[in-house]
Amino acid sequence: MNNLFRNHASYATALTIAAGVGLTLAGCATAPISPEGSADVRAKLTQLQSDPALATNAPAAIREAEAAVRTAEEPLAAADASLGTHRVYIADRKVEIAMAQAATKQAELQRVKLGEERERARLAARTREADAAHAEADATRAAAAGAATQAALQAEDMQRQIDALQAKATERGIVLTLGDVLFTSGRADLKVGAAGNLDRLVAFLDQNPDRRVVIEGHTDNVGSDDSNLGLSQRRADSVKSFLVQRGIAAERIVASGKGEHQPVADNQSEGGRQQNRRVEVIIENPAPVAETT
Amino acid sequence: MNDRSAFGRALRPLIAASLAGVLMLVGACASAPLRPDSALDGARVAISNADKAGAGQYANAELAEARARLTLADNAVRVEDMVMAERYARESQVQAELASARTAAAKAEAVNRDIERGTEAMIEEMKRAGDQR
Repeated sequence: MNNLFRNHASYATALTIAAGVGLTLAGCATAPISPEGSADVRAKLTQLQSDPALATNAPAAIREAEAAVRTAEEPLAAADASLGTHRVYIADRKVEIAMAQAATKQAELQRVKLGEERERARLAARTREADAAHAEADATRAAAAGAATQAALQAEDMQRQIDALQAKATERGIVLTLGDVLFTSGRADLKVGAAGNLDRLVAFLDQNPDRRVVIEGHTDNVGSDDSNLGLSQRRADSVKSFLVQRGIAAERIVASGKGEHQPVADNQSEGGRQQNRRVEVIIENPAPVAETT
Repeated sequence: MNDRSAFGRALRPLIAASLAGVLMLVGACASAPLRPDSALDGARVAISNADKAGAGQYANAELAEARARLTLADNAVRVEDMVMAERYARESQVQAELASARTAAAKAEAVNRDIERGTEAMIEEMKRAGDQR
């Protein structure tokens, strides 16, 4: 009886030990190998790393991918196949993330270059537009009147033209004072050299067909009031007819003689009288146009 | 009496063996993973981020797979296979991160294409304007 129990007991013990050893052996039954798919992931990572342009774009993500791939490559027993599959999955996605990040960075780097290209094209387009606008303006201003872009260009042009006329912008409009360079003393016909002074005015009126002009003749106080009034009127008329000859519509021009009554300087001195003998060309501001919205 | 003590002595190894077995079982229970909450949360956050970033438009397949993995993780939790639950959750998260990364790349490339197209259009326009003159 005693023996029987003892035998049973030792049998049980042996069995327990055997089972334990068996389990341990089973673990070692197949040699651990790198999980299936880990080689593919490694190849993918190597490809990314060997692309010099991309590899430098996402260093942190590539490091992370590298660590994940290394984990995936750890040999596992056949029993742990599902862990291997998991690790390969993670490593694969990490490599893909690194690739996507590198591509993003690449696109951002490229964008700088694309931006520069666009800027060059835009600049070329603008230059061309401006040239076209000028050419058109020279040909016919009227045709271009509606274009909004031209309006901006015109405003810029205007200032340049006013500057070229050596005129002053005042409340009445742009006032161009032509000294006594236009006329010989006492005469109302234009001097030969006067045309040059008036050419700029003609050009301005050509380019601004909506502008009307008032031509005012002024004299000094030498001579009778009547004769000065007549002379100033004739001189104003001379300027008007010159402009009409040069193609400016007569309806746009009003000529008036003011005589000696609006001096700009003291008539006591020769210098003052010289300043008073003048023709003022007032280019009226365009009539305010009703807002069209 | 004698018999009894002999019986007791005979039982001792058995008791020891079963004790060891019980201990092993207890040990196994102790190390049995709890619900992988942080991994599950990580996956949910990553999916939500990808969704917000526009992955639905730019990386829909990746986003769908991330969601499918999260479902697998939830299912594993239900059958108390916490090991698999954690794996699926981690896979879901990394997949969602990939969806985000691919979305960012697709967006960046789309922006570049727009710029390129704009530049080309401008050059085209310029050529046409030049031909008209």
